[in-house]
Amino acid sequence: MAVHEALAAIIGWPPIWQVLIIGFIGSLVVSIFAVWFERKAAARVQRRLGPYWASPRLGGLLHLIADLARYAFQYPIIPRRVDVVPFLAAPIAGLIIALLPLAVIPFTSNPSYWPLPPAAMEYSLLIALAIATLPPIFIIAAGWASNNPFAVIGGVREAFIIVAYELIAILGFLGAAAAVGSFNLVEIVAAQEGFKWLILLNPIAFLAVFIAIVMSTSAFPFEIPESEAEVVAGPFTEYSGILYALNMGGAYMRRFVLAILTVLAFLGGWQPLTPGEGLLWGYILPSIVVVAKAVVIVLAISFLRAVYGRYRLDQALDMAWKILLPLALAGIALGLIEASIGVV
Amino acid sequence: MSGEVRVYGGWRDDLGLRVIPSKRIGKDVYEVFIGPQHPGSGHMRIIIRVDGDVIVEADPDIGYVHRTMEKLGEIRGWIKPIPLFERMAIHDACNITLPYVRAVEKLMGVEAPLRAKYLRVLLCEINRIASHLYGFAIFSIFLGHSTMYMWAMGDREVFIQLAEELTGARLTHSYPIPGGVRRDIPQGFPDMARRAVRYMRKRLEEYRKMFLENPVIRSRLEGVGVIPKNLAAELGLVGPNARGSGIAYDVRIIEPYEVYDELDFEVPVYTEGDALARTYVRVEEIAQSLRIIEQVVDWLEKKPREPIVDESIYKKYPPLHKKILESQGRAKLLPWMATMKVPAGAAIGRGETGRGEIIYYVESDGGVNPYRVRIVTPSARNVIAFKYALPGHRVMDLPAIYGSLDYFPPEADR
Repeated sequence: MAVHEALAAIIGWPPIWQVLIIGFIGSLVVSIFAVWFERKAAARVQRRLGPYWASPRLGGLLHLIADLARYAFQYPIIPRRVDVVPFLAAPIAGLIIALLPLAVIPFTSNPSYWPLPPAAMEYSLLIALAIATLPPIFIIAAGWASNNPFAVIGGVREAFIIVAYELIAILGFLGAAAAVGSFNLVEIVAAQEGFKWLILLNPIAFLAVFIAIVMSTSAFPFEIPESEAEVVAGPFTEYSGILYALNMGGAYMRRFVLAILTVLAFLGGWQPLTPGEGLLWGYILPSIVVVAKAVVIVLAISFLRAVYGRYRLDQALDMAWKILLPLALAGIALGLIEASIGVV
Repeated sequence: MSGEVRVYGGWRDDLGLRVIPSKRIGKDVYEVFIGPQHPGSGHMRIIIRVDGDVIVEADPDIGYVHRTMEKLGEIRGWIKPIPLFERMAIHDACNITLPYVRAVEKLMGVEAPLRAKYLRVLLCEINRIASHLYGFAIFSIFLGHSTMYMWAMGDREVFIQLAEELTGARLTHSYPIPGGVRRDIPQGFPDMARRAVRYMRKRLEEYRKMFLENPVIRSRLEGVGVIPKNLAAELGLVGPNARGSGIAYDVRIIEPYEVYDELDFEVPVYTEGDALARTYVRVEEIAQSLRIIEQVVDWLEKKPREPIVDESIYKKYPPLHKKILESQGRAKLLPWMATMKVPAGAAIGRGETGRGEIIYYVESDGGVNPYRVRIVTPSARNVIAFKYALPGHRVMDLPAIYGSLDYFPPEADR
């Protein structure tokens, strides 16, 4: 086997392919678009123009490209007092692990394009959730390695928030799994055939999951670890240049990946499209549908910035434990009831 | 902060303020320096000591923007301090210089004509609204509410333009001068002012929906940073901070200056003493200032134009200056005013700025310079509140309390 064939085989292998193309490139594009939308939509609400002059015809979309270029070429300062190895490793590892759930998420019902063997697909939701809960650890590590009071406080806040939202996210997704009676994302999507989407059948679980995503990626009103007014940039205070971009982009990429999971579990996945044979109908079009739905969720979360301020940490935790956790449990109960009376 | 006066469990300082009980400081206390290079600090430093997430001690560390206003006021004649003192709070320029001008007027024995008094009040209220909106904007960005920030900053522009139309300058107007003001209202100003008032009333309603009744914002402000009435009195708080704690103290009412006793307005007072009450005081004050602007504009429109400087100064005007004053409504500063001598004596000027009461003590030894100008600004009096409002709250409450106190370092440091 020639080298290029081997390379093509490795990249063509669905898990690698999905992490590289949908993960790195797709989420980069989505993040840029989401940041642009966030700024543009907020500007509309706030009665100003937002990004404009870099490319008036595109509505200033190139501003974000320019920002990215600036981050990429900026000199990354590594302060003397930081713990260098975790300081450098944390953002990179955090970003990669944030994208890893894509290695197990199916984008089609056509088994030849599944990232995992059919037997392992049975647990795809659980595996994806397990990986998706890892990246915050690297945020805490980044704050700890920075050796800066603001970074440490930001990291501790992140830790508090993880404890609050992780359980809610998992229980919320279990609501979908309970309704369908399977951890297989393909089966969960298949059960939503004919617009029996779980967002309609089990809105409680969807709401819990949605808020958990907002919390986990520190979007408003839960932008607490990076709250500028007290802790400067939270765990990322000491970061600059491309490392800072990785940290901040990591939040958007995590949001994107969790949104894809939500789309599969609640928004009918690749429906109304029915994947057929061949690369185009069997893989590319369904994945485009999934990504498009995920983008809608990401943009909806971005828009919250224009409406809300940020909660206090203890209020966010209060809300998570006192309101959202019972909500997520009610979602599971609702899912079980629906499964027993055979709605789904 | 010296080691001797701080005791565990509170402070006992030289002024004999009562000891405020706070938690005993253990060895796990973390010291965090908020500022002066911090996005949430302004030009000051707040040294907080936190036990976990709870502030046990807070020390406002001021003086980073001290610009020797009082000393500079002693070396540049009697007129030039006016544009200087404006720099303490440029968005509140008329309010902050008017008491100085009034103190100098007392020493000189001149008085502004009635029309000039109305004009001064007009600009004072325009400035008050702009100042409140500015504080409001900073407050909301502290709470992470970027929309309210942009709205308040954008709507402040309306009043800055109104001030520009009136005085010719957006911010540092240098409008009141001893014996009068520098300009009469231009043609079409009353309609412009009424439009601005109508617009702002509509916007206040939108602020209420978007910000004041936003559940997230309310939960951040209600019951946070409570300063009880007696503590507020003891600390000597002034302005909206005192009125938010139930103290009905406003120089415009207590000791009416200019034409405030002829105008119909209320001073809003809230008794809760928390951050939300202080915010509501400011919003209500904007509404009251709008009322005052309407009344003043009506009066100015109805009454015939008259010289806007004192009789004794007007008499000394050369014919050209008189012509300009009559045709364009502009009172030129006469050259002799730059080197004028003011009779010996001492005078006090008080006024209510957007942030509270400002006091000038001006002493003259009969020379071309003031012998002494003592300035007590409202922010300098309010800064002590940090020390007592912060302990017991969480670190995330710091911006909420800071913003609600509307503390402005350049004004406090002078």
